[in-house]
Amino acid sequence: MKLSKEAEKALQRCMRQNRTPDKDRKEVEDLIELMPQDRVLLYKNVISNPIGDLPRYSIHIRIQHLLTFSTFLLLAFTGLPVHFSDAFWAEPFNSMLGGIEVTRTIHRTLAAVMVFTMIYHVATLVAGTVIQLVRGRFDMARTVIPMYKDLRDMKEDVMYFAGTRKQRPEMDKFMYKQKIHYFAAAFGNSVMVLSGSAFLFPDIWASILPSGWAYYFQDIMRLAHPHEALLALVVIAFWHWYNVHLAPGRFPMQWTYLTGKITREHQIEEHFLEYLRNLVEQPAERAYLRTLLQKYDLRAQERLSEGAPASAPADGQ
Amino acid sequence: MQNRLKYWLLFVLVLTLALTGLSTAQAAFEDDEACLMCHKYPRMGRVTQDGVFRSYNVPPEMFSNTVHRNVPCRDCHNYIKELPHRPVETGVTCEQECHTKKNPATGKPFSHKPVYDLFQSSVHARGKIAEGLDADKPYCISCHTNPLYNPHQIEPPKKVVDRCELCHEKLDFVTQWYSHTSRRVLEVKRSGEEIVALCSRCHSNEKMLERHAAAAEEAGEPLGKKFLIAAGSYEESFHGKVTKYGLEGAATCLDCHADQENYYRGVHGILSSRDPASPTHSNNRVETCRQCHEYADEKFLAVDPHPSFDAKYNPVLHKAEAIYGVVGNGVVVALIGLSLFETFGRRRDGVGWRIRWGSTWWRRSKRKRKRIIPR
Repeated sequence: MKLSKEAEKALQRCMRQNRTPDKDRKEVEDLIELMPQDRVLLYKNVISNPIGDLPRYSIHIRIQHLLTFSTFLLLAFTGLPVHFSDAFWAEPFNSMLGGIEVTRTIHRTLAAVMVFTMIYHVATLVAGTVIQLVRGRFDMARTVIPMYKDLRDMKEDVMYFAGTRKQRPEMDKFMYKQKIHYFAAAFGNSVMVLSGSAFLFPDIWASILPSGWAYYFQDIMRLAHPHEALLALVVIAFWHWYNVHLAPGRFPMQWTYLTGKITREHQIEEHFLEYLRNLVEQPAERAYLRTLLQKYDLRAQERLSEGAPASAPADGQ
Repeated sequence: MQNRLKYWLLFVLVLTLALTGLSTAQAAFEDDEACLMCHKYPRMGRVTQDGVFRSYNVPPEMFSNTVHRNVPCRDCHNYIKELPHRPVETGVTCEQECHTKKNPATGKPFSHKPVYDLFQSSVHARGKIAEGLDADKPYCISCHTNPLYNPHQIEPPKKVVDRCELCHEKLDFVTQWYSHTSRRVLEVKRSGEEIVALCSRCHSNEKMLERHAAAAEEAGEPLGKKFLIAAGSYEESFHGKVTKYGLEGAATCLDCHADQENYYRGVHGILSSRDPASPTHSNNRVETCRQCHEYADEKFLAVDPHPSFDAKYNPVLHKAEAIYGVVGNGVVVALIGLSLFETFGRRRDGVGWRIRWGSTWWRRSKRKRKRIIPR
């Protein structure tokens, strides 16, 4: 495979940061040489352990995700019967918990847990970034910070789905979809905490805010809280869960949120630049790939099916 | 066998008579002046010039369950001087001085007059007979419904009543006295939900509200800007929703609009918000809010207890709601649409629906290229 300029840059940066010895560099370059140009051919022929092959999420991130989704779902389930208290299902649910007063108390307690989780997450990000900076291992491309590349990737991906591109773009550790979701969830949670605090402390907010704002603030928060919650619930239930568990290639479930590892076929398909870095950082992965590519000549397979020698892709293809 | 049947029938007869006797005994209230001789009949009454039947029936079994059961008829109907009596010109109003027994604290005959006068100085003032706009206002009996069954009436505890009975002998008297005083101590006022329902009976009647707003406008003293949406906006507010849940902690109509210095005086003397003595007058509002919101200051008044998302009352909130609706629905449609587009787009690479090892990639590609190397 002839790497695109983008991929080449990412690979070189990784090798430099990891201070990869020459022997290993050579090995990585040889493996890349053996790879077919068509990534689909590659990922369709690797064998993946369904519970994950390559490291992706640290234990802190996994704990935070568990905390976030459990508080989120419980908050939604205790919030819905409060907002829709007239509905036929709300009364039995509330009395099952011990009355609407108890539902409200549970809701507020869980909100405190969610705030703790958010603080824990910010602390993890800050600490993790500082550690990486100190060790000289920080790479902005491997973070969830949105970049212009993500916009380009989104455009290319949509064109691929429409049939006007031959391959999906080479995406980084967090593709555009995950960045959208991360910031949507972060924003949504912040709105929920803010509007929830307006419910709990209306007098304190009114005394802090400038007088022109206070008139609208309370009622906009009262509007925002249930609307944002419902939006978040619908997005999680129908979008997030679909993408992680129900989509073709993931069904019946993806294990990454528990094991912190991603399957290699997923990594090659959707996070190829990160896969290249995995080759640099994980000797076991190099060994597996070497075994595979030495056993099956995928480049030959590709030449046979296309009837022409492979050529280097343009950037972004 | 015959004997057995006879005795059985006799027993049933005696039982029936006894029970009948019991029920009538319970139903009787003191009627020393034999008013019931005529007034017990259901069709007792007259037909007015307009063909309306005015009933003068007093069903004894109903009246003996009401709060006025022990007041002799002529204590209130004190214009009746002879029996049979002449046609009545004016009836009883709630300011009547009744009870021949004097109030031991004041030496005066008992009367609802102090409260009645207070009510007449309030914004709801009206006479027993009223016409036009005044007829919309509540009279005493609009709220004091004098229910036949009082759920707060509890059976006096035997240990307490036993003690009283030793000197006061008559158990009936002791029980009545206990109920009379304990009822006040037990704080049997309406719950939050009931108060809101009571006030909303009139204050959510749109035609009535518009009548009064229009009349006030014509008189040159327009009513408060939330008057027309008072009940509706309260139901949408935080206080309204908490009250609807059945919780007692949140403010209801009377908590803000009635002076809480003496609650029972306050609810009869509700004043317009324009009146400087009203708790909802702009000078007094912070103190009113502070009854519950201990950290409230002048700035807290910016928070609206009668919020509205209607364009007429609050265009900013109305727009905010509209934008939220559009953005919320738009985001969901866009995200799910993109997912579906992606799913159908990826079919080019042979998406299948077979489950294999946690993954469903196992189908020949539509591009007719041999993707999978046979193993």
